[in-house]
Amino acid sequence: MALVTTKFSPQGDFVARSAGMPDIPRVILPHPVAGTGEKAMKMVADDIADEVLQALGAG
Amino acid sequence: MSRQLTAATEEAALEQLHNSGCTDGLPVVIPTPARVERMVLASGLDSDVSLGQLGPNLGEATVEKAAIAAVMAGCLPDYFPVVVAAVRAVSDPRLDMTEVQATTHNLGPLLIVNGPAVSACGIASGFGALGPGHRANASIGRAVRLAMINIGGGRPGTSDMALLGHPGKFTFCLGEDEEASPWPPLHTALGYDIDQSTVTVACTEGPHSVLCFPDDDPEVYADHLINVLAASLSGLGANNTHFGRGSQVLVLNPDHAVALADVGYDRATIAEALHERAKRSWSELSTVRSRGSGINRHQRSQGDNPDLVVQALSSPEALLILVAGGTGLYSTVMPSWGAGPHGNSHLTVEIDLDQTCEVPLVMPAR
Repeated sequence: MALVTTKFSPQGDFVARSAGMPDIPRVILPHPVAGTGEKAMKMVADDIADEVLQALGAG
Repeated sequence: MSRQLTAATEEAALEQLHNSGCTDGLPVVIPTPARVERMVLASGLDSDVSLGQLGPNLGEATVEKAAIAAVMAGCLPDYFPVVVAAVRAVSDPRLDMTEVQATTHNLGPLLIVNGPAVSACGIASGFGALGPGHRANASIGRAVRLAMINIGGGRPGTSDMALLGHPGKFTFCLGEDEEASPWPPLHTALGYDIDQSTVTVACTEGPHSVLCFPDDDPEVYADHLINVLAASLSGLGANNTHFGRGSQVLVLNPDHAVALADVGYDRATIAEALHERAKRSWSELSTVRSRGSGINRHQRSQGDNPDLVVQALSSPEALLILVAGGTGLYSTVMPSWGAGPHGNSHLTVEIDLDQTCEVPLVMPAR
């Protein structure tokens, strides 16, 4: 599965198609994540944890 | 074999190519089968030979597809061996073109041509070599960009995520002025013979001007020049300074090159001096970046050490030095991205000038 921020969502779709994995599960994150600091990243991680587990088939 | 499109006129074909996102926004030469076949002949290779896979689309860069890009860019067939070598380079996984095209950073492949190909193709290396007015430079660099668009799939906002881009992403090609250089050509320092032709590709930002006035004292002049180049190679806004890696390019104008040679510098000792002096103290860096961006390899290993000094060049070999441009006060540096699986390093590919088939002046109409 792939984590993709909102602004990179079209690019994620493009790369998935190019790599022959158009249906690979993707979880969309807010943009940006990089450089926002540990506290903000932990909040994002908390928000998406269930979705990630679900995409991995463990939810 | 590439898919063929049809159109009633060349004007209609041009609009079709613009509308389908196959151009760089400027008019192109319509790549008719006859024109493409003529270009392929200039490589001496079969049209279906693969030069590599070009990301992020992972498209197969065949000789035919490279020839289509070269025709569209306005290349003469004589230029095509340079385009073939450059497409081989940008398709090489070591240049990380999937990541280079996808990053938000504003970088693009700079093509540096050395050896007999420079004069054989008429590639400019003097005044304004990276500016307009030089057909070989303009069309060879443009062909590589069109290959990156149409084979690699790099389109702004969907697969080429550069926040702004730079004008060198239209075309970015020059030769080294080997005659004006006081040292053996760049490619001989990279392991090639002087009679070989090469294209060295480094993905960089656009050119940054570096001013240095002469001084009556040659030692002082050289020392000032090294200092200002070092400062320019370690700009506080440059990725290289923060990440401590990535190839950078230094284009010395002939006057500056001679000034350094006059006091005993050669290419290797300049690189060593700049590797040593292109650095920033941790206290300087800490004034311009947040703690959340602590990603420099030195910082990772040493933490917030106030005595830490961060070098912008990971080694002397991370700096490509060539002599080009007119004579005068300005040399040029091109910082880079410093990321990607291979760390945004450079790559050199030999240009095969000897395999060209005889190219007829006019191909039969199709």
